[in-house]
Amino acid sequence: MVVTGFGLVTPLGCGSREIWDRLLAGECGTGPVRSFDAAPYGVDRGGEVPDFDPARYLRRLEPGSAGRASQLAAAAARLALEDAGLAADPVEPWRGGVARGTTSGEAREIERFNDELMAEGEDAAGSGFLDRYPCHLIPRHVAAEIGFLGPNLMIPAACAAGNYAVAWAFDTLRSGRADVMLAGGADCFSRITYAGFNRLGAVAPERCQPFDRGRKGMIPAEGAGVVVLETLERARRRGAHAYAEVAGYGLSCDAHHMTAAHPEGVGAARAMEEALEQSGLAASEVSYVSAHGTGTPTNDRLEAIAVRRTFGAAASSVPISSIKSMIGHTMGAASAIEAAVCALAVSDGRIPPTIHFEEPDPECPLDCVPNEAREIPVSAAMNNSYAFGGYNASVVFRRVP
Amino acid sequence: MSAAPRQVVVTGIGLLSPLGDSAQEVHDALCAGRLGLRDADAAGLGPAGLPIGHLADPDWRRYLGDGNLRPLDRSSQLAASAAALALADAGWAAGDPGRDGIGLVLGTMFGSVHTITQFDRRAVVDGPAYAKPMDFANTVINAAAGQTAIWHGLRGVNATVSAGSLSGLQALAFGADLVRAGRCDALLAGGVEELCAETLLAFRRAGLLCGAEPDADARPRPLESGRTGFALAEGAAFLVLEEEAAAARRGAVALAEIRGHGAGLDPADGRDEESAIEAVAAAVGEALRSAAIGGSDLDALALSANGAIRGDAAEARGLERALDGKLAQLPATTSKAALGEAPGAAGALQCALLLTALRCRRLPGVAGLQALDPTLPPLDVRGESRTIAGRLALVSGHGLDGQSAALVLEVGS
Repeated sequence: MVVTGFGLVTPLGCGSREIWDRLLAGECGTGPVRSFDAAPYGVDRGGEVPDFDPARYLRRLEPGSAGRASQLAAAAARLALEDAGLAADPVEPWRGGVARGTTSGEAREIERFNDELMAEGEDAAGSGFLDRYPCHLIPRHVAAEIGFLGPNLMIPAACAAGNYAVAWAFDTLRSGRADVMLAGGADCFSRITYAGFNRLGAVAPERCQPFDRGRKGMIPAEGAGVVVLETLERARRRGAHAYAEVAGYGLSCDAHHMTAAHPEGVGAARAMEEALEQSGLAASEVSYVSAHGTGTPTNDRLEAIAVRRTFGAAASSVPISSIKSMIGHTMGAASAIEAAVCALAVSDGRIPPTIHFEEPDPECPLDCVPNEAREIPVSAAMNNSYAFGGYNASVVFRRVP
Repeated sequence: MSAAPRQVVVTGIGLLSPLGDSAQEVHDALCAGRLGLRDADAAGLGPAGLPIGHLADPDWRRYLGDGNLRPLDRSSQLAASAAALALADAGWAAGDPGRDGIGLVLGTMFGSVHTITQFDRRAVVDGPAYAKPMDFANTVINAAAGQTAIWHGLRGVNATVSAGSLSGLQALAFGADLVRAGRCDALLAGGVEELCAETLLAFRRAGLLCGAEPDADARPRPLESGRTGFALAEGAAFLVLEEEAAAARRGAVALAEIRGHGAGLDPADGRDEESAIEAVAAAVGEALRSAAIGGSDLDALALSANGAIRGDAAEARGLERALDGKLAQLPATTSKAALGEAPGAAGALQCALLLTALRCRRLPGVAGLQALDPTLPPLDVRGESRTIAGRLALVSGHGLDGQSAALVLEVGS
């Protein structure tokens, strides 16, 4: 199973190669929140997709019929389809599937519901809620936009959801139930998410600085990422460029705490090890790790422990960067965007940096590719993601045979 | 290297529903023709005259013991309780070897809309500093799956799937595939849905419920001509799925085998009957093919018909198309006249109840059934329970928006 296309809808803009170039250039897409007044929160930074105009991307889905997360998701799918060259080389509709992840789904529809309820009472609230809120509508909207009528599923695995979607798409292709899968994740910027992370004390006042000694937290963000997966045979037959092969995945659950990772990184390490085992690779053969790297003091410290558990002494030398330093934490989209990053790192031999890095943290003894992208051959890349609920998900990408 | 294919068996059931908290109890109640519905006003969730399937004051401690219940909202309480019952039914005790490697796949349509709206309302009305961090953890849609894993120490693969009212069936399909692929030797798969004022309001607004016009006799009438909609409900159900040899090694009884499953997408989202019928036929066709059986091999059928005007018709017609003349002779039932529609839990409840019916050799009737809609294809659905024989069963799920899924079960001999 190979990645033949990707679409990114991020605080650094929407596109494919052009967004990859911006990530390699170390650009920062986070800034003051624009979609609501952040003054009452005491912090005001966020990562919003700038001037997102769904009509620029969508051809079939009527933007007004869907919530923002669906719009972001469908736009990313459209971009991915074009990048994969499938727009000109159509897939048999029943053989094309959609796997999607999210953390909070169409959270803005909850906000709308509440605003109606609080302003005008029960008689004015709730119309359209069923047509717009339920999160399974996100992959349905993607399918409507692309015209894929095959396997279709929402896997709301919070901030590991992109990896879960890739994993399910991988299994769906392997079982022969589809020829092409669009796998990804999406979340919209919402006051609910913002208030929540703020109350957890997790939002950084200015910047996201993963693995830096002075890191002060994460930056809530929105976005969507999609990778196109198909069999290598099919990709070769149609002459498509295959960025990387999906080699394997691992999933585990800490069963420890809803919002905090296991202190010894046991579950995260188990997910990494399972992914390596299915890939038939040793940890020493991994040349790049895309970190979960949210920039909160706890996440990064525990992630370093988990990586050391799996990689041993190599933990301090394998490049491990977090693009969340540039685009913030795009929630259910994050590991989907990072899946594309891993595939591109393998394909291009370039690794995006962790920006805003100033001072090493002895508790995170990692090579986080500080501030500057790096050119090295990447034969295998691991995408790590962790989530509320104690979810751990790792996916391994490697060079196409 | 080709090993024998891994078979997926069901070794336990745990459920909570308005008619009881065990498959046997609910089965007996259905066979006795009991209804599990109550008035929304009596539950404090909606107007008088609106029937709902609501669990009145469940005693969570009975299922969950003495732990700290505060972090669990209603969805999580329902899921964790059903999980406790399922683990016990399958003979998995705390501390058993391998128990902490058990996985969990939970289907839900909404997660907890109540928790999310309350969290947001508090932040808006009182200010963001008053929003409750503990509630925030439960705003994510996988919260109940995470909470259940924490409660029972389940460290295997954990996932939540959301597919509207097909979520429970899709969770079982997802879980069965994980076991078959060797990702896990044992996992809980099923679904949960809580009933809250917010979702009840949304369904009322959409005009999908029976009793929208206050009516003392309002109740769901699946497959009847006078049907006006369904009763929204809550519940939770898990099946314990295990790899056959692993289950045998620990001496567990295989209640049934998951033979196959299928899904069908309706591109018209239920707005066009032909398209919805095709989705049903596609799902059933794929389920039968993956089980390597034909429609004439089936011995019983659980429909998802709930009283929805269009959905019930599309499901019956799609089944007729897929089963090739067998539908009229296939003993069939639906539990939703009695239990209502609990979207995320429904498919898992159907599986648990049909499996129980086959094992008891008695199929419940549809409570209060007067006359089947004559415009539907002929169905062998009755008002009273009856004896049945055989081992192969089809569970059909037809979603509120035209989508379909189906699953084939075979009970042990």
